[in-house]
Amino acid sequence: MKLEVKDITYSIDGKLIVDGVSLGIREGDFVGLVGPNGCGKSTLLKNIYKVYKPDAGAVFIDGKSTADMSSRETAREMSVMQQENNVEFDMTVYDMVMLGRYAHQKMFGTDMVSEREKVLAGIREVGMEGFEERSFLSLSGGEKQRTLVARALVQQAKLIILDEPTNHLDIGYQYQIMNILKRQNLTVFSSIHDLNVAACYCDRILLMKKGRIVDAGTPEEVFVPDKIRNLFGIDSSITINKATGRPNIMFIPQV
Amino acid sequence: MPRIKDALFPLRKRSRYLLFCAVMLAVLFVLLILAAGLGSVSLPFETIRSIIVNTVMKKEVYPVTWEESAETILLGIRIPRILTAFIVGAGLTLCGILMQALTKNPLADPYVLGISHGASAGAVSVIMYGYLKFLGGYGTMVGAFCGAVISIALALKIAAIRNKVTATQLVLAGIAVSALFGAITNFMIYHTKTGSDKVKTATYWMMGSLSGASWEKLKYATIAFVICLIFILFLSKGLDVLLLGDDVAVTVGVNTERLKMGIIILATLLTGVIVSISGTIGFVGLTIPHITRSIVGTKHKRLIPASVLVGGTFLVAADIISRVAVAPEELPIGVVSAFFGAPFFLYLIRKSHGTFGG
Repeated sequence: MKLEVKDITYSIDGKLIVDGVSLGIREGDFVGLVGPNGCGKSTLLKNIYKVYKPDAGAVFIDGKSTADMSSRETAREMSVMQQENNVEFDMTVYDMVMLGRYAHQKMFGTDMVSEREKVLAGIREVGMEGFEERSFLSLSGGEKQRTLVARALVQQAKLIILDEPTNHLDIGYQYQIMNILKRQNLTVFSSIHDLNVAACYCDRILLMKKGRIVDAGTPEEVFVPDKIRNLFGIDSSITINKATGRPNIMFIPQV
Repeated sequence: MPRIKDALFPLRKRSRYLLFCAVMLAVLFVLLILAAGLGSVSLPFETIRSIIVNTVMKKEVYPVTWEESAETILLGIRIPRILTAFIVGAGLTLCGILMQALTKNPLADPYVLGISHGASAGAVSVIMYGYLKFLGGYGTMVGAFCGAVISIALALKIAAIRNKVTATQLVLAGIAVSALFGAITNFMIYHTKTGSDKVKTATYWMMGSLSGASWEKLKYATIAFVICLIFILFLSKGLDVLLLGDDVAVTVGVNTERLKMGIIILATLLTGVIVSISGTIGFVGLTIPHITRSIVGTKHKRLIPASVLVGGTFLVAADIISRVAVAPEELPIGVVSAFFGAPFFLYLIRKSHGTFGG
């Protein structure tokens, strides 16, 4: 297992948000985490990427407990991309992506030529060449998010965690960003809101409700009308998208 | 006009950055000479040059044509005062940079957060009640440091809700903390001093002054400043990342708890030392980093050296104004810095409301 989570429990202000979650992710898999708002997806992920410290339970990367790893060590094994956050201080796209190299750089004797090449390669990978000297705050939502993908990629970790990576993005950018991630040779664990995006890209999907993982399987296995109604309280009909061969979910709202 | 500004700043090229630093050095040099010459007894440039050269070379390179008092004024009073102004300005600027990285808020600075007032109260308590005598010249600084530690703990406790420091919270925390420690300081002064002396002492600690500068205090402050500066330069990459938020910093590999502890220790230490030699001088740590950031960019490796220069230069200039504006009287230097800083503070508050929604 690339990533293993064992019995993680976490509460905020006495309220149980993550209730004994265990899961495992195989090397090279693209795994989606799906569930309604407030079900604890983001909190679970934050426990995995060490922004929160779990009340109980542990996280292992390649069998090693993350609690025993230093911040730098963890960052070299696992990169994270979050929703674009409000930053008060501006910097260039190049400098922003360079911050992803933090865990690899030493106080002295870092080969800045190769660091520079890696950063430029990351910027090219997400199609942001020509934007290197642009200020981050002046970018559009999609451009910002692609810059953050580049920052996560240059971290050169084999495991990448995505915390609602495509929120607030229009449909074109959502697919563009998922395409970029899909073609990397990485293990991906991502929370995803749009079920069709999840169905299209994920090898496996975990369904989360009220702080627990309630189901897991391939998109075909978990995206069935019963399970979707149970999770989101909405009826749906599932067809197969001829272009992708993946399930296509059509919602049937009660109007 | 904003177009031109956006195209020019921040300076991206290394050569432009170095040029900016060189220009600031030149400005600083001119101001140092000016500051040495101006005052109740004005000294011509030749005299200043000759006295300095003779003193440094320890022999009579230039024949003595000046009165002996000129030498005493220059070496005993003016030069330590000017250098103190530089260290105080540079130090307050560094404190501002550290607190802005800590709170991710450009409004943060030791004065706004009330930490200067806390340090002031600590220093005054040591001076008025005379404990910590065994520490000698360091006693006041240690007292100021303790005051700074207590006030920063208090200010951050009030300002941080769910780990996020909003502009409103920060300003409110600052008002509360500075009111509290300002009151404590004034109480101690009025409790122990009598007559016009107490007003003078209170003014010194509440509005700042460089009139008490001496070589000895300057020596202590310079040592502390240089040590802090070196540590801060080592932390510069971590500070860059911290500006993006604690979450992001953790995920790219920063040990945020250790870094933040380091920042708090350095910021309080430096604030304590600076306040112990100059009283509370406001807004330097707020204005200077902001202006310098818009010129050289956000990266701390560049920002720190440049803003240390700008901050030091600014306070040397402010000191000149404070001595000249109402001559032969002297204006508290905090009045001068507030005249420049407070409108700027208002501007930043207005601006931040747009992004924080209050």
